[in-house]
Amino acid sequence: MTAIHLIFPEIALCALALALMVADLFVAPKHGRLLYHLAWLASIVTLCLIGLSISDAARYQGLGSLWSVDPMSQFFKMLVLLTTVLSLLMGLEYKDLPPARAGIFVSLLMFASTGMMLLVSSVDLLLTFVSLELISISSFILTGFEKRNPKSSEGAIKYFLFGAFSSAVMAFGISLFYGATGTTKLLGLTQAQTGGPLFILGLLLVLLGFAFKASIAPMHFWVPDAYEGAPTPVTAYLSIAPKIATLAAMLRLFAILLPAKVFDLTTLFVLLSALTMTIGNFTAMFQRNVKRLLAYSSIAQAGYILIGLVSGTVVGMEGVLLYSFIYVAMNIGAFSVAQAVASQSSGADPYGLESFDGLSQRSFGLALAMTFFLLSLAGIPPLAGFMGKFYIFQAAVQSGHIGLAALGLVNSVVSVYYYMAIAYHMFFKPAATEEPLSIGPYLYGGLAVAVAGVIIFGIYPEPLIASVQTSAQYNLP
Amino acid sequence: MPILTLITFLPIAGALVILCLPKEAEKPIQITALVSAGLSFVLSLCVLYGFDRAQPLMQFMENADWIPSMHVHYALGVDGLSLPLVLLTTFVTVLALISSLGIKERIKEYFFWFLVLEAGMIGVFEALDLVLFYVFWEMTLVPMYFLIGIWGGPKKEFAAIKFFLYTLAGSVFMLLAILAVYFNSTPNTFDMLALMHQHVNWSARFQILVFLGFYFGFAIKIPAFPFHTWLPLAHVEAPTAVSVILAAVLLKMGVYGLMRISYGMLPLGFAWFIKPLIIIATINIVYGALCAMAQTDMKKMVAYSSVNHMGYCLLGIAGLTATGFQGAVMQMITHGIITGSLFLLVGVIYDRAHTRDISAFGGLAVRVPTYAGLMFLACFASLGLPGLAGFISEFFCFLGAFQAWKVYAAVSVLGVLATAAFFLRMMEKVFLGPFNNKWAGLTDMNARELASIVPLTVMTVALGVYPKWALDIMKETLIYMINTPR
Repeated sequence: MTAIHLIFPEIALCALALALMVADLFVAPKHGRLLYHLAWLASIVTLCLIGLSISDAARYQGLGSLWSVDPMSQFFKMLVLLTTVLSLLMGLEYKDLPPARAGIFVSLLMFASTGMMLLVSSVDLLLTFVSLELISISSFILTGFEKRNPKSSEGAIKYFLFGAFSSAVMAFGISLFYGATGTTKLLGLTQAQTGGPLFILGLLLVLLGFAFKASIAPMHFWVPDAYEGAPTPVTAYLSIAPKIATLAAMLRLFAILLPAKVFDLTTLFVLLSALTMTIGNFTAMFQRNVKRLLAYSSIAQAGYILIGLVSGTVVGMEGVLLYSFIYVAMNIGAFSVAQAVASQSSGADPYGLESFDGLSQRSFGLALAMTFFLLSLAGIPPLAGFMGKFYIFQAAVQSGHIGLAALGLVNSVVSVYYYMAIAYHMFFKPAATEEPLSIGPYLYGGLAVAVAGVIIFGIYPEPLIASVQTSAQYNLP
Repeated sequence: MPILTLITFLPIAGALVILCLPKEAEKPIQITALVSAGLSFVLSLCVLYGFDRAQPLMQFMENADWIPSMHVHYALGVDGLSLPLVLLTTFVTVLALISSLGIKERIKEYFFWFLVLEAGMIGVFEALDLVLFYVFWEMTLVPMYFLIGIWGGPKKEFAAIKFFLYTLAGSVFMLLAILAVYFNSTPNTFDMLALMHQHVNWSARFQILVFLGFYFGFAIKIPAFPFHTWLPLAHVEAPTAVSVILAAVLLKMGVYGLMRISYGMLPLGFAWFIKPLIIIATINIVYGALCAMAQTDMKKMVAYSSVNHMGYCLLGIAGLTATGFQGAVMQMITHGIITGSLFLLVGVIYDRAHTRDISAFGGLAVRVPTYAGLMFLACFASLGLPGLAGFISEFFCFLGAFQAWKVYAAVSVLGVLATAAFFLRMMEKVFLGPFNNKWAGLTDMNARELASIVPLTVMTVALGVYPKWALDIMKETLIYMINTPR
């Protein structure tokens, strides 16, 4: 069954990315910013195409042989594109990127996004693998894009080595999977095909590949170095888009196509989730660098989202969608503030916690915004992060995983300690300089969107929950 | 007119206005804060005026869908249990704000957080939906963290984060309990009034587990032994006005939750815990008083006396009689008023002398007669001298508990003795005896301090002389709570 029209938005984004790459040759370096503008406009155009596919479901949604285009995949594609737009806005204000390579930078970002869009729709392990590679290879280059910064190169190398290893593992897993079932298709697997040792080993290795991209423990070791070294807009992007896209792919594979009644992996996921959030939170406590701190925090956040996957119910699935949406707003916001603060820091480590000293005196609004993002990440009401956690823990309690919910809650208490460490520097420490902190218009715009999201959906989450409930629908053969 | 919503969110409106003002505009910021808190107080007096004292059930109810897909409602209401606490909150906040006019640093942030804090506290007492209750409950944490951490004493940062983590740790278990009752109610609901009737379907085991979940949250706030260790630190490090709020209102949230939720929703769980509760109450009373006796820092002494006084509340509740309940609620009110003024008074001397060491003073009554008079009155009220507010509530608590718990009540009387001992010793060392010439330059209270403390003193006397006025507000509701078939 050919259903190429279903992935029209992906094709469009890819084509626009190629066009921008070519355009790079004809645009003088001093006009490099123009390409950023074109890139985020292109992402918005693609976003509109996705919107179209949602509004006219009968024509633009359906099941192909490799991909399934359904409300759930479209929801995640919109999140990925939203993240792309916001990261590009951050990139416009980021000073350390070489202007001569603007076209390459934005097109790589768009290629990665294309990969994620394909990934969330994929129902065939081959397409899954190819799209994961597209994401990975683009991300490796993006991480090392700040050529003059040795940390950037270091992060990229570590990321690459770890990534290449896990790709190999995943490819091996897929081959075993093929050996066991005779197909790489994930649709219509019967109970007879599943359960053999070959199948189990194959599936576990595939899971390892996913865990690498979603930074799930024990495959999280690359995260802090890569996140610290990468240019901040890329860090923000990497901490959100690949993670939620991979979690969406895991949701599709392990909760929909291979639900617990066909092949039960619940215990394994409980362990992974518990391990991920605990390791993330307890390591984050000792970080002195904001990017590393947020890196570990993002590991912990992946652990929370996994709880929704564990419960395996519709509510759990909705929880994953809801939390992912809120996660975009709060994480991009936190990284935006970090970028703004570091850009005007004179300290030895611009991303050190000391750079935040006395921020409330220099710019109360920015400090307050950061506080909102941090509290939201910690899950304190009335901010959106609380609603996300509430929904996820609700799913866990409903499906009987009370122990996991309790562990998640204890973890949120722990997380307050390190999130508040940033607030401590912003509010309690005297400022080194009284000079007010200025932020550029694009960063300001992105921040305004993020703050609005974190506050509005915290106080009135109903529209978001309603849209999540309609989006938690998927195609089954 | 949604008057309860107005009372709750007027402070938030004030906070938003303050956010828009430049930080140099100190006068406008102070005025905005006072006006919004003052309006909130006036409106709560209007509620008192319109409140039907013969009616035991919820009044001034407001109900709207908030998150329909999760069955969460925006539901507010007051009855005889919550109205006195709402009044206490709005009243004490206005006075605390008046006393905060002396704050010199970072005025904008201070009043912003203070008003957010007020909204959270009022909301806790009015919320009739568990999620809303939880949201308000947590809303008090963050402002408190900043208020202690920025404007507090030498160990403020540690005190702030300890307070935050301690309280949050308690409340996450509360969240788990909230989810548990939600999924075990038919139909699934967070509505507190509807949940009051669900316990017939719940097994004792379930109720006990849920009770413990809630109890962790409440006990830390009360604070009930052995979860009281955050309190002395937070109280001592917090700036004066924040200590006042902490003692006068925040601790009451715990007792309120215990009465409204634990008692109202989980009778079997409550019955199972009644024995430990009376033991904890006794420990709080005796141990709190003994700890207070050992302090040399006046503020720390008052802080431990709070542990002791909250013990009386628990004692009254554990009696499970209408008298005991009235005693407990009355004790919350009188403790709020009396301890509020004690903290303010300690703040007055600290601002001048920069020490709170009891033995550093001597004979101050000669030098600062007004101050000494107000302090004497507050101390006598706190130790339960008849004729002042503290006596009535303590008497009711003992009366209510004596029937069921003779031995524990008798042991608790030791606490009353110890309370008298440490207050009298403090008065003697600070105000009486030979005058310590070091303090010859001490000035008496100024207008701002008088304006924040005298209203509390007036209330202390008024409630002591004519308690019926306050008891009448709560009486019907509490009798109804005791007599509802369970």
